[in-house]
This record gives sequence, C-alpha cells and structure tokens, in this order.
Amino acid sequence: MSSPISPACVHPEPALSRREVMAVGAAGLALGALPAPARAAAPPALAELVARITEGAVPERGRITFDIPQLVENGNSVDVAIQVESPMTDADHVRWIHIIAEKNPFPDVARFHLGPRSGRAEIRATLRLATSQKVAAIAALSGGGYVIADADIVVTLSACIDGG
Amino acid sequence: MASFNARITMPAEAKAGEVVEVRVLVRHPMDRGGQVDAEGRVVPRKILNRLTVTYAGEPVFRYDMHTGVSANPFVSFTTRAIETGELSFEWREDGGATFTRTARLVVT
Amino acid sequence: MTAAGRALAAALLALAGAARADEIKPGSTFLSPEMQRQQQDQSRNPGYLWVEQGEELFSRRDGVSPTCISCHADPKQSLRGAAARYPQVDAASGKLVNLEGRIEQCRVDRQKQPAFGYESQDLLGLTAYVASLSKGMPLSVSAEGAAKPFYEAGKAFYERRQGQLNLACTQCHDGLVGQKLRGDTISYGIGTGYPAYRLEWNGLGSLHRRLRACSLGVRATQFDYGSDDYLALELYLAVRARDLPMEAPGLRR
Ligand code: HEC
Ligand code: HEC
Repeated sequence: MSSPISPACVHPEPALSRREVMAVGAAGLALGALPAPARAAAPPALAELVARITEGAVPERGRITFDIPQLVENGNSVDVAIQVESPMTDADHVRWIHIIAEKNPFPDVARFHLGPRSGRAEIRATLRLATSQKVAAIAALSGGGYVIADADIVVTLSACIDGG
Repeated sequence: MASFNARITMPAEAKAGEVVEVRVLVRHPMDRGGQVDAEGRVVPRKILNRLTVTYAGEPVFRYDMHTGVSANPFVSFTTRAIETGELSFEWREDGGATFTRTARLVVT
Repeated sequence: MTAAGRALAAALLALAGAARADEIKPGSTFLSPEMQRQQQDQSRNPGYLWVEQGEELFSRRDGVSPTCISCHADPKQSLRGAAARYPQVDAASGKLVNLEGRIEQCRVDRQKQPAFGYESQDLLGLTAYVASLSKGMPLSVSAEGAAKPFYEAGKAFYERRQGQLNLACTQCHDGLVGQKLRGDTISYGIGTGYPAYRLEWNGLGSLHRRLRACSLGVRATQFDYGSDDYLALELYLAVRARDLPMEAPGLRR
C-alpha cells in the first residue's frame, strides 16, 4: 500500500501568506506570483542537447507541430501533442520523436519510436516539468534529416508540491 | 506499491488500411528518485522506463520514458489496421519487472 | 497598496455574503476547458484507474467471504444514486457517516475484516467506484431531523474565522469565487467531484484530504481524516451543493 502523501514530493506547500490572500482580494489576480518566463533566445544548452541526439546535425524548422500549453497549471502533468507531416511510407517516414526539457534535472524526457506501420506521425503524452523553460520536440526522418519545434512555457506550480 | 492497472482504449474493429488511435493510461507513481518521503527516507528511482507494443507479433510502437514523464502516464499513438490480431503491450520497470496486457483488433 | 486595494482588502476582512443556492456551480466549472474535457474522458482521466481497481475489489474473493457483490448484486443498478445520499445519519448508531464510513462499516461489521483505513488505496478505489455509479445524478442529502445538529455544526465551521490568517471558508468560497490564487481558480468549495485525481497529489484523494489542504492554507488545525469536524463540514458542503450533479472521479489541479 503506498503512502497517502506521494513520496515524489520534496517540499510541502507552504501555507498561504496574508499578503497572497490580500493580493487576491485587492487585485483579483495573483499574476505577480508568476515566475518570470523563460528567456526568449535559445540558450546554448538546448542546442547542445539537441546536437547530441542528432549527431551534430542542425534540425530544420517546419513540418512539425508541437502543442503544449504556454502557461502550465501544474508541472506534475503537462499534456503535449506532437504531429509531423509525413506520408509514413517505407521510403519516407518518421523514425522517432524525442522531447527535451532543457531545465529539467534530466533534460531527455521521452522518445517515441514510430515507423511505416504507424500510419500517421502523431503522439500525445503527459510530461513532468520542473520549472519555466524551453521545451523542444525533435523528429528523426527516415531520409536522415531532422525537424524541430520548440516552445517557451511558464510553469505556475512546478512539479511536486503538496498541501494535503 | 499501488496495484498496477492499465486502461487501453482503442476501437475493437477497423477496416483494413485504416489508421486507429490507441490510448494508454497506466497506474504508476513514476518515482524519479531522490525525494524524501513522509518518514524521511530517500525514495529510490523507480519508473516504468519502456512501453513496447507489438501487433500480431510485429513491433509497431515503442515509448522510452525517463524521469520527465508524469506519474500515472498517458500516451496516445496510431497504428495502421493490417490484419486481425492482438496488440500486446509490455511495460518494463526499473529493476527489471515487466507487466503485460493485450487487446484485440478485428480487421474487416 | 492603492486606495482601491485598501478598500477591497477591507471588504475581505468582513464576512462575505453566502452564495445563493442557485449560484453555486460544480467545481469543474472553474477548470480550463481542456481539463473539463479530460475529466469527462474515461480514457484520459486517471481517476478511472482507481474506479477500475474499486470495481475489481468489489467482486474479489482473496479468501474474503462474503464479497461486496454477494450482498450488493448488480451494483450498477442497486447502488446507483447511493453516493448522492451521503453523508447521512446512521440509524443504528446515530452517528454521521460519509460514503467512506459506510464502506468501512460493511468491511468491518459485515465482512468481518480489518478496516481498510482512511485514504488507503483500497478504500479510495472502492469509494471512487461506488461514487462513479452516481455520476450525473443530483446530490440529495438531508439536513433535517437527526441530521440537523450535524448540519448546524458544519455551517458554524464553514463560517468561523480560523487559523493564523483568520479566514473562514466562506471568505474564499463565497467572497472570492472566480479569483486566482496560487495558479488555481477559487470555486464554491463543494465536494461533488471527490474522490478526485489532483495533479498536485499525483493521485486520487478524498474530500477530507482536500479539506486538510484548505485548513493548512490558512494555517489552521488540520483535523483527522474522518473526524467529526470534517464530517459535519462535509454535510454542510453537500447541502450547499444540493441538486448539483455528482462528478466523481473529478480531475483537479
Ligand atoms: C453481508 C452483506 C454485505 C456485505 C458483504 C457488504 N455489504 Fe454493503 N451493505 C449491506 C447492507 C445490509 C447495507 C444497508 C445498510 C444500511 O442502509 O443501514 C449496506 C450498505 C452499503 C452501502 C450504502 C448503500 C446505500 O444505499 O446507502 C454501500 C455504498 C455499501 N454497502 C458498500 C459495500 C462495499 C463496498 C462492500 C465491500 C467492501 C460491502 N458493502 C459489503 C450489506 C453488505
Ligand atoms: C484562502 C482561501 C481559501 C480558504 C479560506 C479556504 N479555501 Fe477551500 N480552496 C481554496 C482554493 C484556492 C481551492 C482550489 C480551487 C478550488 O477548487 O476552489 C480550494 C478548494 C476547495 C475544495 C475543493 C473544490 C473542488 O471542486 O475541487 C473544497 C471542498 C474546499 N476548498 C472547501 C473549503 C472549506 C470547507 C474551507 C474552510 C475550512 C476552505 N475551503 C477554506 C481556497 C480556500
């Protein structure tokens, strides 16, 4: 039987402060509490992380769509959907799709292996995001090329807090 | 650990050549390791690190999971209906335990 | 703080007027459209993993006799609507029991087995399963007769300022409905979605677990799971939510 309080939680949620509650009453919006959005320019770290999985190749932009909420409500579970335009034939298909979250403790988040039998290059999944950051989806094409799409996301509540 | 259970949602029947969506929701805490539990012990990493799907014996999808995958993870993928047969799902957990489930697709 | 801010902060210090019964909306109304859709989707809402576990436990033997299903045949019919009548006063003991309490009573008195324990995965699974059988049905608890003193106690709890922040439930759940707090949108604070899968918990939790989170939020006493205080409060919340549809297993942030 697992513990009622998930062991995956390090720091218990601190109680509210009077100032936070006043901010709600006064302004109606606690946007001041939002962490600053991730930097707009791709930090070198991401390029390096990408180069590692593409064997140095620089992926092209386009043909890949990456749906991820810009404002993440809770980093514990973030819905993503990725689609690559591809006929998914023996000659021309997506081999895999890889997700990198540059500021996660372990930036390689997941890899989905596809093939001609997939019919479409289309996946959905739920991720865990530690903090506001840039997240990238990279697809490896059967012809040897790569395509990439990325997104800057803001995480209002990072993974793992518990008020219960 | 809480009991392992998986919910696999896909059509029971499809026309040959049709692309079907398969959705998989599975119960697992995906402990990413290093956290401290209620008793002050450090929890070791224990996640499902791979889901492999075969269809009538042929591999059609594989999901490599790392610590950035959510607890009780959901995944959806597609496969082309080729022949009537079983889709077999196998999860591999850190430490080597495996869990399997099957679902049948009738192709008309 | 601006003058307008001071005026609003002062308004917050006064007790908010209670919401009218016809204003109160289900908790899911305050979720993003995406989460509302996911709550409805049985292939996506992880709460159904617990519902499924509960359904299995309901008919599993494991040397336990009789099983739940041997007394409650065809639960989809026989227990449909049952969860919508809790909490209620147990005729034999005169105590207020919620759905968890009733299931534990069957477990201990009728199956002669050790109690599952509040917030255990087994009890959460069974509660979620039984509650799911009432999905969409209107909540219909009684605040009359034997239930009256419990209702009054719950109402008093709901309106009492408490904790270091000296806030009553009503100040947030009537006075600040729709406002943002810590990335959440404040709802009417009712329990029709529980047990619920909360992203923050990475799992399913009971209404009492949610109440403990609110108590902690204002740095007030966290009462025990299944305590008389939270049971009375649960009854009051259920009366507030009367006629609203049951939505367990809910999906929450
Ligand atoms: C030996 C027969 C028996 C067994 C076994 C049993 N129950 Fe019951 N259960 C009853 C009876 C009789 C009642 C009616 C009690 C009352 O209304 O005072 C009841 C009431 C209930 C109710 C409330 C129904 C309502 O309409 O208010 C629920 C829910 C319930 N049981 C669930 C369970 C679960 C879950 C299990 C297995 C863990 C279980 N029961 C095992 C006999 C049984
Ligand atoms: C400081 C403001 C605040 C106070 C005071 C407060 N809560 Fe909450 N409560 C919240 C927030 C924020 C949430 C999460 C968003 C939501 O569902 O309303 C919440 C959620 C809830 C929920 C879950 C609703 C759902 O559908 O998931 C219930 C029930 C609840 N509160 C009851 C209470 C009760 C009872 C009290 C008094 C003991 C109380 N709250 C005090 C802020 C507060």
